[in-house]
Amino acid sequence: MVSLLLLFEGGLEVSRTFDRIASVLFLLVGIFFIMESRKLSASAYGSEVGPDLFPLGLGILLVLLSLRLMVETFRYPSAEMKTTKLDVKRFGIILLAAILYAVLLEPLGYVLSTFLFLVVAFQTMEKGKWLSTIVFSGLFSSGVYYLYVGLLKGTLPGFPL
Amino acid sequence: MSTWEFLYNGFLVALQPENLIYAFIGVLIGTAVGVLPGIGPMSGVALLIPVTSTLTAGAPPEEAAASAIILLAGVYYGAMYGGSTTSILLNTPGESSSVVTALDGYQMAKQGRAGAALSIAAVGSFFAGVVALIALVFLAQPLSELALKFGPAEYFSLMILGLCAVSGLAGRSMTKALIMTVFGLLLATIGIDNVSGVARFTYDIPELYQGLEFLTIAVGLFALGEVFKSILEREQNEGAIARIDRIYPTKKDLQESAGPIVRGSLLGFFIGVLPGAGATLASFFSYIMEKKISRQPEKFGKGAIEGVAAPESANNGASGGAMIPLLTLGIPGSGTTAILMGALIMYNVQPGPLLFDEHPQVAWGLIASMFIGNLMLLILNMPLVKVFAKIIQTPPKYLIPIIIAISFFGVYAVQVHTFDLFLLIACGVCGYFLAKNDFPLAPLVLGLVLGPMIENNLRRALTASNGDWSIFVTHPISLLFLVIAILWLLVPILLKLRGKKVVVNEEG
Repeated sequence: MVSLLLLFEGGLEVSRTFDRIASVLFLLVGIFFIMESRKLSASAYGSEVGPDLFPLGLGILLVLLSLRLMVETFRYPSAEMKTTKLDVKRFGIILLAAILYAVLLEPLGYVLSTFLFLVVAFQTMEKGKWLSTIVFSGLFSSGVYYLYVGLLKGTLPGFPL
Repeated sequence: MSTWEFLYNGFLVALQPENLIYAFIGVLIGTAVGVLPGIGPMSGVALLIPVTSTLTAGAPPEEAAASAIILLAGVYYGAMYGGSTTSILLNTPGESSSVVTALDGYQMAKQGRAGAALSIAAVGSFFAGVVALIALVFLAQPLSELALKFGPAEYFSLMILGLCAVSGLAGRSMTKALIMTVFGLLLATIGIDNVSGVARFTYDIPELYQGLEFLTIAVGLFALGEVFKSILEREQNEGAIARIDRIYPTKKDLQESAGPIVRGSLLGFFIGVLPGAGATLASFFSYIMEKKISRQPEKFGKGAIEGVAAPESANNGASGGAMIPLLTLGIPGSGTTAILMGALIMYNVQPGPLLFDEHPQVAWGLIASMFIGNLMLLILNMPLVKVFAKIIQTPPKYLIPIIIAISFFGVYAVQVHTFDLFLLIACGVCGYFLAKNDFPLAPLVLGLVLGPMIENNLRRALTASNGDWSIFVTHPISLLFLVIAILWLLVPILLKLRGKKVVVNEEG
């Protein structure tokens, strides 16, 4: 039974810094919602309860909870953190590619932008094998486009010009 | 009409050829999702919502909703089953509810009994699905009749109870879970207030008037979040896959697992009905129970078939049980059911007591299709076990970019706006960091889905009472719900103070 419990407790890894930053951010979000909901009217036609009440109450709750989290971070045991090596480069390239994909989707059209994104992403995941990368990306992007637009009559940005 | 007539009509809906195909696609994709490392039931269902809305685009709204929910529910219980395959063959559970299955399942696989373990898991899942179905048939009508008597005050308190239950059991830190819940509720207030028509927190940004789209946030947090995790952390399972020789279990296997399957199904079902306690807890408790009542407890952990049969039945029973509060009360008890609920709302079908009156086709069609879907799972999984074992070997280099592309396609196809694509990417990044630091994501999605309803009921109740807050404690049923909600939050804290370890639910 103990070993079972350990399975659920396994991999406990609390980051004090992250939680502190997060608590400050959530605190700011809470304050923002409190400030902004005070600009909303406090009553609605035929009712004493206005659209401000719910976000105002939740904002206060969020502020209280983030303060509590901040207090908790000071009580964390100062254990050595297990640092997993992160592949930041790979993540950065794919994230950037995804953002460019979102920017270019409408100007370039679905088929071209998806094809380009997939080629970049496949090559980032594993270099080489250009032929299979190009064939696979081409099949996916044109396949989805013709299935969705041709067969199901949906709308996707077509081709430039 | 009696319950049986409704059920009969439900079967008529579920047996329509296109719905049979949807159920089949659902369980097939669901099993694949469960088997694939990196996508769990939650992201699987979220990812498929856009695809289903595309598939059902031409049909009349009622039928489209029925077909879509049949497919998505198929993904849900298919994924529950698929998760066990990796536990048994690789000793790496595909999702948290099959963690305990790995204990005995992998040992069985090492002894060359992988086929028996997999097929017993299929039989157990099927039986549990049938138990959940029968209970759903009997409980649906009385529960929704009871819920019809609820006023806004009762509804408000019931939803607060639902949120507290999920927050109390999600993740290791209750503070973090509550923060996520409140944050989800706050995000839900963005957009036009549907009571007074006032625009809130929109700042003349046209995309915000509709509010943040639930689908975009769910796909971003779960699907993209998990994808980013596997990109950053280079997850790889190098373990050798056990060979499968004999697929069908022996007579002795069947005899030994009959009892655990029945007990696991019932226990799983009742745990599933409780909000917050999901499939993970169900499988965990049923394993402990079997070990306790077994005459040879030392067998467990060394390849006991009971240790596979019980938790696998329990986690499927729980996913069936979780449908009850969703369909009858309109309150999802877990992350996955919250996503299913969001899907229903997208089709303009409001889950809750009126569902059975207003959309009997959807409600009973879904119930009937759960039976058919479970039968399909059984038929599909016995012979296809070897094929699914192959899916495990899909190289992540293809899988990860394709998941991103499908998320983009899905969100764009539904929203037709690049704003949602940027929101999607942002949610993916946030989802990764939040989940990594133990901020549970399910309460956020739950808050986002329940937010508008909680606010409506709160304001309706307060309007009726002229702003008097005591309405929530003077109505006895409402008071009862609130007391349970508070207890749900306090009891784990008290247990922790007394030095007890509290089991938490990792994923819905």
